[in-house]
Amino acid sequence: MKAFKGLDTLSSIGGLVALLLLGVLPTLFTGTYLVGVLTVAAIYGIWAVSWDFMSGLTGRENFGHSLFIGVGAYAAGFLNVHFGLGPWWSLPASMLVAMVFAVVLGFPTLRLKGPYFALAMLSSAVIMQRLMLIFWEYTGGEEGIHDITPLIVNPLHYYWFVLAVLGCITLLLSWMARSRWGLILRAIRGDEATCLAAGLPITTYKIVSLVISAAFAGLGGALYAHYQLQVSPQLFAVVTSITIITMVYVGGMGTIFGAVGGALLLTVMTEGLRNFGEWRLMVYSLLLIFILFFLPNGIIAPIWQKIRNLGRPS
Amino acid sequence: MSALLQVNQLDKHFGGLHVLKNFNMELHKGEIVGILGPNGAGKTTLFNLLTGFIPADSGEVLLRGQPIRQLKANTIVGLGMARTFQLCRPFVGLTVLENVLVGSLGPRVKTHDIGARAMHLLAQVGLADKAQQASELLSYGDLRRLEIARALATEPELLLLDEPFAGLGSSEIEALSVLIRQLHSEQHLTILLIEHKLREFMQLVSRVVAIDFGEIIAEGSPADIVKDPRVIEAYIGKQNPLNLDNHA
Amino acid sequence: MEILIYGAVTSAIYAMLAVGFTLIFGVARILNLAHGSFYALGAYLAYVLTTLAGLPLWLAALLSIAIVAIFGVLVEKILIRPLRSSQLGVLMISLATALVVEQALFLIFGSEYRNVPAFIETKYNLFGVDVAGQRLLTLAVATVSIGGLYAFIQFTRLGSAILAISQDPLAAKYMGIPSDRIFSLVMAISAGLAALAGVMAGPFLSVQPSMHLLPIVKAFAIVVVGGLGSIPGSIAAAFMLGYAETIVAYMVSSSWTEIVSVLATLLMLVFRPAGLFGKRAAF
Repeated sequence: MKAFKGLDTLSSIGGLVALLLLGVLPTLFTGTYLVGVLTVAAIYGIWAVSWDFMSGLTGRENFGHSLFIGVGAYAAGFLNVHFGLGPWWSLPASMLVAMVFAVVLGFPTLRLKGPYFALAMLSSAVIMQRLMLIFWEYTGGEEGIHDITPLIVNPLHYYWFVLAVLGCITLLLSWMARSRWGLILRAIRGDEATCLAAGLPITTYKIVSLVISAAFAGLGGALYAHYQLQVSPQLFAVVTSITIITMVYVGGMGTIFGAVGGALLLTVMTEGLRNFGEWRLMVYSLLLIFILFFLPNGIIAPIWQKIRNLGRPS
Repeated sequence: MSALLQVNQLDKHFGGLHVLKNFNMELHKGEIVGILGPNGAGKTTLFNLLTGFIPADSGEVLLRGQPIRQLKANTIVGLGMARTFQLCRPFVGLTVLENVLVGSLGPRVKTHDIGARAMHLLAQVGLADKAQQASELLSYGDLRRLEIARALATEPELLLLDEPFAGLGSSEIEALSVLIRQLHSEQHLTILLIEHKLREFMQLVSRVVAIDFGEIIAEGSPADIVKDPRVIEAYIGKQNPLNLDNHA
Repeated sequence: MEILIYGAVTSAIYAMLAVGFTLIFGVARILNLAHGSFYALGAYLAYVLTTLAGLPLWLAALLSIAIVAIFGVLVEKILIRPLRSSQLGVLMISLATALVVEQALFLIFGSEYRNVPAFIETKYNLFGVDVAGQRLLTLAVATVSIGGLYAFIQFTRLGSAILAISQDPLAAKYMGIPSDRIFSLVMAISAGLAALAGVMAGPFLSVQPSMHLLPIVKAFAIVVVGGLGSIPGSIAAAFMLGYAETIVAYMVSSSWTEIVSVLATLLMLVFRPAGLFGKRAAF
């Protein structure tokens, strides 16, 4: 008898189809505007999925996810511009840097109960932002690092690359979430003492999942750096973390694939609000409040569930 | 024959309170031993100390001769000593089956098909039909059974039950006693259980260790304990659990 | 000597913020991330009421505090209370509120620094150090307000009710203490205190839309070090942090000061999560 759900065939196919559609979409239009928007959406998707894997499953909401994004992005920019390292090296390097930070920060903070952990991570992200400004000689201060070499010059091809990365990460994390890993993380969310009584080394699992989350966040950061061709301290902002959390809430906490949908939806929405310029962040925050009140299970995942259940007898 | 569990001079203070005083105990394989004591006697503290949930101040705990006092709680489970909690806390958000599955992931479980094994365990405790239910919706009695199933899932040699009968009605107590006895004989489990009501485990255990204020006041068979003057004194003024017609 | 005086002023401001933050946590178990917004709104309202409405400063200050207090009560009642079952839900929504306020301030006032008028314009010379009168006044106001709050809690019936709820909310309910109304009261005090800090410190600290963020990080650091729910702990920790920052600012450089608070937080969380005074000394 199968103990773990494993990857759901229908959802996997659905995801693959969606991915293909997304890949094809920009080719139907001229110009690079749509490609640009979708590339950013895909990167946000990577960030959202990485957040959901750790925080969505364990219920330990990480309010400082932007830290891992930022250090990954800065590592990429730094190595590329100041050390002249080829852009493809950024990818593993950014993951490594983010993972180191996750270990260093994870040990002291993961022992703490939910709100403490959230705030400790928030504080850390704020401080990292400060540090970027303090060490302006190395990091470029407010301006950040410029003239980063792109990975792939053709915007469409780069978009497909990012999409592929997103697809792989989502697949991997979805599979993990529906396997032993996911069960343990959800159990940790349920009751930690009982987990210990069940013989599980919960600290190890918490830290490893944070490290995995951070690695992909950092990777996304590097991809972002090679897209924008510059990095600035704004990446560490609280707003980035909150945006990502909102995306995951919209998609449905803990579902992994929902986060991708949330990222897409919100990024597209942001573009639509571009005319309102400075109102975007306001709308995000209001949206988050709305969702917290009325749609705690999000939008995307429940809708997908309904679609799936259409074919089934009740 | 050396003891399965050996406790030497186990000592614990909580601030100024001396909760456990140089506690000594021996548990042999195959026994069912009960720890009896009024509320506040130090029973749950003892369990927490033995299973690594709180650190002891001094003393020794040997499992099969191996010192385990300084080990982490989950490591101790991996060595074959499992426990249940007085306040059952199922994994919220997980089904009944998943609760048992979580316990099946340790190093002592050799089976490949842990799903089938989990279902088997649920059948043993009588929860097989509720496998897919949300665990937090279970009744109190069922939660107790789930606790036991989860602890059993870790493939223990020694099972510590913390007040398994608390809050249960008399028929449920009866059923649970039967289950415990079954597990003891079929699985060759050694069982240590805590209760503060003697009636419940009179027929279940072979030996009773009575404690009060953190130290042992009497030890012996259930029949002897009932007549022991120190035990009687410990219970005067508190509930009267020795009145065998009394119900919870 | 400069350090002594400036450190005291900084500590006093932090104390006002931290005490309010720890108060609402101790009583209602709410970690209110919008607390910094009360501080910001206090300063901005003082600015608006004096500059645009032409009100005298003392009136503007009082109104500002009152309005923010009411705002705090509304936020608690409408946004936070429904989500009280989930501590993280409360965190999220209070953070979202803080961001909404920040964005609103940004949209209305833009990102340039605004000028909040001071009560005292003159500089004094204290023990050979030039200090702005406003800073000294802030120190005095902080001392009086926190002292008053402490006295209120220790010596009045209402204060005892607050203490009761913070120690055992269920028992307090059984005794007929109207916890919901007390929550509102405590929130009003907490918000008002933060607004007062904003009004007093506005003249010499930066007033711009994102001014709520660092205070909340610091308030969190302080309550962690002092022990969540402990007023004396918060005061002590506020002074420790205030002085630590001032010393760092003078000896090293001012840009490092924020690091102090977060480092303190992380270190304390690692070594002694209960803080110096822990939950036992809940007031």
